Amino acid sequence: MLLEIDNLTLRYGRIEALHGISITVGEGEIVALIGANGAGKTTTMRAVSGLRPVATGTVRFAGEDITNLRADLRVIRGICQSPEGRGIFPGMTVLENLDMGAYTRRDTAGIAADLDRVFGLFPRLAERRKQAGGTLSGGEQQMLAVGRALMARPKLLLLDEPSMGLAPMVIQQIFEIITEINQQGTTILLVEQNAQQALSRAHRAYVLETGKIVQEGTGQELLTDSRVRDAYLGVA
Amino acid sequence: MKGIFVDFDALFGHLGQHTVDGLSKGSIYALVALGYTLVYGVLRLINFAHSEVFMIGTFTVVGTWSVLGATDSPAIGTVILLLLAGLVAAAAVSGATAVAVERVAYRRLRRMNAPPLIFLITAIGLSLVLSEAFGIWQGRLVKGMPTVIERSVLFTIGNTEVTNVQVITVLAALIMMFGLDVFINRTRYGRGVRAVAQDPDTAALMGVNKDRVIALIFLLGGLLAGAAALLYCVRYGNTRFNVGFVLGLKAFTAAVLGGIGNLRGALLGGLLLGVVEVYAATLTSSAWEDVAAFVVLVVVLLFRPTGLLGESLGRARA
Ligand SMILES: Nc1ncnc2c1ncn2[C@@H]1O[C@H](COP(=O)(O)OP(=O)(O)O)[C@@H](O)[C@H]1O
Ligand SMILES: [Mg+2]
Repeated sequence: MLLEIDNLTLRYGRIEALHGISITVGEGEIVALIGANGAGKTTTMRAVSGLRPVATGTVRFAGEDITNLRADLRVIRGICQSPEGRGIFPGMTVLENLDMGAYTRRDTAGIAADLDRVFGLFPRLAERRKQAGGTLSGGEQQMLAVGRALMARPKLLLLDEPSMGLAPMVIQQIFEIITEINQQGTTILLVEQNAQQALSRAHRAYVLETGKIVQEGTGQELLTDSRVRDAYLGVA
Repeated sequence: MKGIFVDFDALFGHLGQHTVDGLSKGSIYALVALGYTLVYGVLRLINFAHSEVFMIGTFTVVGTWSVLGATDSPAIGTVILLLLAGLVAAAAVSGATAVAVERVAYRRLRRMNAPPLIFLITAIGLSLVLSEAFGIWQGRLVKGMPTVIERSVLFTIGNTEVTNVQVITVLAALIMMFGLDVFINRTRYGRGVRAVAQDPDTAALMGVNKDRVIALIFLLGGLLAGAAALLYCVRYGNTRFNVGFVLGLKAFTAAVLGGIGNLRGALLGGLLLGVVEVYAATLTSSAWEDVAAFVVLVVVLLFRPTGLLGESLGRARA
C-alpha cells in the first residue's frame, strides 16, 4: 500500500473531528473519499499532508511512518496536495505558482518537462502564464491548483474538492483530466462532494460521516448501493 | 518675508539642500522599516524588538571601531576598512540578534498558537529588556565615537551642496534595497517567503519550511538594521541605549506610510518621512519634526488606509 491511514483521530481543541479512521490507497489507484459537508474530509487531507498534528493513530507512506513528519518533508517524500479552495498564491503569476509546485525539486530538466506536461493538460494555463493567480477565473484557478501539485511530480496526489464552485462543463473537464493523470501513473486520493463523478472515476471509495468511515467498496459498488444513492447521489 | 512661526525663506531658499538632507535621513529609516515590513508581511506581527536590533547594531559599530583603534578622520584606506568592518560586524550581530529574538520569544508562541496580543506584549517587553540591559551595561549617557568620515562637499548642484556622507548613505541604502528586492522577487528562497506571506498552509503543502522562511526574514531584517546602524553612526557620530526607541518608531511609521508588508513601500515611506521631517524642522523648529512626521502618517492613512503603495508581500489575505 502506498498510503495507510490507521485508526486516526484528530482534534481541533477539545472537539474530535476524526474518530479513528482507517483508509488505504494502493499504488496506481484513484481512491475517493466522499461525505457531507463537515464530515471530516478536509481534516483527513490535512492530516495526510501534515498540516495538523494527529491525536492518535498512524499515517504510513510507502512503508515509512510519517505520522509526525514535517509537512515540507512529506512533499519531498512524494505527497502533494491541491487544497480545498485551491490555495492559489494571488500575488504570483501562473508560472510562479507552478514553480511553487516544484519548490522542493532541483532537477531543472525534469521540471521543464513537467511544465510542458502541465501546459499540455491545461492549455489555458499556458496562455495565461504571466497573469496573476488572483485574477484567474474559478475554473482556471482549479486547473492551476491541480497543475501546481503535479509540478511536485508526486507519487500521491491529494485533491480536495477539485469540482467545488465550478460550472458543469468545467467539472467534466477537470474529472477527465484527473483520470488522465491517473492513467499516466499518479496515484490519487480524491475528496469530493460530487459523489456521482467521484465514484464513477474511482477504483475504490470510502464514505465518511461525522468523522467515521461508514462504508467502503469499489466505486461501482458504492454507486449502486442504496444507502449511498439515498444520501449522496440525490436519487430516490 | 519671514513669518513668525513659519520660515518659508529658510525652506524654499534651499529646497534642494533640504531635500537631499531629508533623503539621506530617510534612507536610514527605510532600511530599518524593511525589517518591520518583512516580518509583518509574513507573520502579521509588529516586531517592536526590531528597534533594539538596530540599537545593538550601533553599539557593535562603536565596539568594532574601538577595537580597531579608530580615530577622527583617518586615511582613506583606513576609512574603507573601518566602514567595511563596521558593516560586517553590525550586520552579523544585528542579524544574529534578530534570529535569536525569533527563536527565543516568538517561535514558542507560534507553537502554542498564541493570540496576536500576546505577541505584541512579548515584543514590547523584549524591546524594553534589551534596551534597559544595554543601559546597564553601556551606561545611560550618550556614547560618542570617532568621526570616521569627515563631512565634505562632494559636488554642488545650483545652491545645493551634496556631502560625501549623504552620498554614501543614500547609495548604500538603495543598493541594499535593490538587492533585497531582487532576492525576494527573483530567487527561489524569495518565492518561498512570498508564498508563506500569501498563504502559509498552501506554502507548506508545496514543501516550504515555514520555520526556515521565518528565520530568514528575521535574518534579512537584522542584516539591514545592522547596515542602517552603521549609516546612523557615520551620520550622527553617537548612540545611546534608547536610540532605537524614536528611530524604531519613525521606521515603523515609514513602513506603515508606504504600506506595511510592501518592500518598495518601506523605501518610499522612509524617504518621504525623512524629507517631511527636514522640511518641517526648517520651516519651524526641530521640535516640530516629529509632529510633522505623524501628521503626515495620519493624513495618509485617512485617505489610504493601507498606506501609499498598499500591501504586496501578502496580498493573499485581503
Ligand atoms: N480549523 C478548525 N478549527 C475547529 N474546527 C474545525 C476546523 N476545521 C474544521 N473543523 C471542524 O471539523 C469538522 C470537519 O471539518 P472538515 O474536515 O472541514 O469537513 P469536510 O471537509 O468534510 O467538509 C467540522 O465539524 C468542522 O467544523
Ligand atoms: Mg472540506
